[in-house]
Amino acid sequence: MPAILISDPTLRDGNHAVQHKLTLKQIAVYCDAADAAGIPIVEVGHGNGVGASSLQLGESASPDMAALRMAREHLPHSKLGIHMIPGFATIEKDLKGAIAAGVDVVRVASHCTEADLTERHIGFARENGRTVYGVLMMSHMASKELLAEEAGKMESYGAEGIIFMDSSGHYLPQDVTERVKTLTTALSIPVGFHAHNNLGMAIANSIAALDAGAAMLDGCARGFGAGAGNAQLEVLVAVLERLGYQTGIDLYKLLDAADLAERELMKNVPSISSLSIVSGLSGVFSGFAKPVARAAQQFNVDPRDIFFELGQRKVIAGQEDLIIEVASDLAKKKVNSLLEAA
Amino acid sequence: MTQAAIAQVRQDCCEALSGLERQLSQLKSDHVLITGGTGFVGSWLAEALACLNDDFQFGVKIYILARNTGRFQSAYPHLADRRDTTIIQADIRDFFDVPAKINWIIHAAATPDNRFHSSSPVETMNVIASGTMTLVKAVDRCVNIKKFLNISSGLAYGPQPWDLERIAEGYTGAPASGAVSSAYAEAKRFAETYCGAARSQQRLPIVTVRPFAFLGPYQSLETPWAINNFIRDALTGNVLRVLGDGQTVRSYMYGSDMAAWLLRILTDGAIGAAYNVGNPEGITLERLAQLVAERFNPRPEIRLNASNSDARHHRTIFIPDTTLATTSLGLSIKTPLPTALERTIQWNRAYHAGSAKVAA
Repeated sequence: MPAILISDPTLRDGNHAVQHKLTLKQIAVYCDAADAAGIPIVEVGHGNGVGASSLQLGESASPDMAALRMAREHLPHSKLGIHMIPGFATIEKDLKGAIAAGVDVVRVASHCTEADLTERHIGFARENGRTVYGVLMMSHMASKELLAEEAGKMESYGAEGIIFMDSSGHYLPQDVTERVKTLTTALSIPVGFHAHNNLGMAIANSIAALDAGAAMLDGCARGFGAGAGNAQLEVLVAVLERLGYQTGIDLYKLLDAADLAERELMKNVPSISSLSIVSGLSGVFSGFAKPVARAAQQFNVDPRDIFFELGQRKVIAGQEDLIIEVASDLAKKKVNSLLEAA
Repeated sequence: MTQAAIAQVRQDCCEALSGLERQLSQLKSDHVLITGGTGFVGSWLAEALACLNDDFQFGVKIYILARNTGRFQSAYPHLADRRDTTIIQADIRDFFDVPAKINWIIHAAATPDNRFHSSSPVETMNVIASGTMTLVKAVDRCVNIKKFLNISSGLAYGPQPWDLERIAEGYTGAPASGAVSSAYAEAKRFAETYCGAARSQQRLPIVTVRPFAFLGPYQSLETPWAINNFIRDALTGNVLRVLGDGQTVRSYMYGSDMAAWLLRILTDGAIGAAYNVGNPEGITLERLAQLVAERFNPRPEIRLNASNSDARHHRTIFIPDTTLATTSLGLSIKTPLPTALERTIQWNRAYHAGSAKVAA
C-alpha cells in the first residue's frame, strides 16, 4: 500500500472552535505531543489562516508570528505548516515573517472559484524554497470540472499539490470520489482532501478520497475544528492502519496526543450539533455556527433558517457580516408576517 | 545587469553564429523587425543581431516592437541604447505602420508563461490571434519584405503520445478543443493557419517555426518550469523538488543556439514550411535534476513528489524531431545540455551578483 501524507490542522482549524483563543502554551504542549507521534505536518494559526486575526473574524489570542515561533521550537521533526488566504494574508506582512519563523509548508487557499488570487503567494513561497500546496475551499460550490480548472491554475502557478476542502461538511462519499478522479486525471501533482464532519461522513469521505487516488489527507485530534469538526485524526490513522496504508505515525503516541488535546485545548469536544447538520445540508461554512447562533439569539430568529438562507445566498467564508443582515431580514419578515396575520 | 552577464551572452552568440556568417549574409544592411522584443526569444534575437553587427560587420538595422518599451529599456539597457536599434512602442493588436524599410519580420509576440495562460486565457488567445492578424494586415502594405518568420509553438501539436519518441513537422495531432488549458496552443495553431492563408492569398513570404523548450540567460527563474525551478532552488540552497515520479521527458536548447537557428530559418527556410526548433535529445526530469545538482557544492538534495495515483499516468514527453532543420539547413546543437546548464547557472550567478539569496 502506498504512503499517505497526513497534515494535522488541529492548531489552526481547531482555533475556530475556541474563537481563535489558543494560547502559546497550548500550542507548545500539542506540538510536543504531535512531534513525538511523528505527525508529518502540523498546521498552526488563526482559523482563517495567518493574517486573519481581526475584529470581524475573531482576534487571535496568540499573535501569528509568536505562535509560529513557539510551534517551530516544539516541532523538531514534524514540518510546520500554515494556511493562508490572500487578502487576509499578504506577502509582506505575513508570508515573509512566517518563512522567517521557520515554516516548511505553505498552503495557499482561495474560494473554490477564485484560484487566480493565489498566484503571487504561491510563487513567492516557491521562490523561497517552501513546499507549497494550493487549497480550494468550499469546493462543493463548484462543479468537478470547474474545480479541476481552478486547480490547474494553482498547478501552473507552482503548487506542488492541491487540497480541496469540504468546508461545510456537505459531501457524501460519491461526491468526493467524483472530484478526486477528475482532479487526479486533470493534474500531474498530488491531490489531497480536507473533510468536515457535519453529516458524520468525514472518515468515510476521507477513505473515499484515498480509494479514488488522493495522496494527502487532513485530520484533527478529536476532530477539533470548525463547526462539527474535521476528520478525527486518531480514528483516521487507525482506519488507515487497518487498510494497510502507511502514514509514518505512531498510533499509541497519536492517541496520547489526542487525549492531551482534549484535556488541554478543548472546552468541548466537537460534536455534530443540530446546527452543524443544518450547516452541512445547506452547504454553508462550518465556522459560521457560532456567529449564526449569536445572531439568532440577538434577532430572535431560528438559526436553522439563517443557515438555509445563507445557503441560498451562496455565502462563503469571509462574508460573516452577511449573517447579521440575514438574521435582520428574517426578523423583519417574521414581524411582517405577524402583523399581516393580526 | 552586470558586465559579466552581458559579456557572457555576447560570447555565447558569437560561438553559435560562427560558421553561419555566409548563410546569414542576406541580412547585411537590411532592416529587421522583431515583435515581442522583451521576451526570451526576442531578446536573444536582438543579442544575436547585435553580435552580427559588432563582430561580423553586418550593418543590420534592428527594430524592436514591444508593448512596454520601458521594460525593454530597463531589462536590456545595453541593447536599447544601441545606435543600430530602434524601439517601437505598440500593442501588437493595434494597427501600426510597419516602417517601409523593413525587409525581415520575426513575429515573436506572445507570452509562453503558463501562469498567464491559466489566469488569462482570453487575453492569451487575443494577443496571439488578433496580434497575428493585425501584423499580417500591416505587412501586406510593405513592399520590401523578404521573409516573415511566424514563431508558433511545439504545443500546437497537442500532447505528444508517450510511445512517440519525437514529434516531426508532419505530425497531425492537436490540442484538446474547447479546453481552457488549450488556449495558448490552439491560438498558435490558429495563427499558423492564418499565416498559411495569408501566404496563399496575399503571397506573403511566410515561414513558420515551432519552438519546444529552452534554457539560458533571460529566462526568469520565477517561471514555474522544471528546469528554472531546479536552477533557482539550487542557487538558493534549497531542495530540488521533482513533481511526479521524475520520468517525464523534456529536452532543452540553449538560447544562443535558438537565436542562430531562428535567423537561419528566417533567411533560408522554405516559404510555407514549418520547422521544429529545439533539442532532439530528451532527458527525464529526475536526471535533469541530478545534472543541476551535480553542479553545486554542497550538492542539493533531490526529492520526488509522486502522487498516490498511478504516477505513470502523469508522465509526459515533449521532444522535437529536428531532422528537417538539420538536414535541409545544416543546423546543429552547438551547446550540449551540460554546457548549457553550466552557462545558465554561471549567468544567473553573474546576473544576481550581490543577492543574498544566491549561494556561491
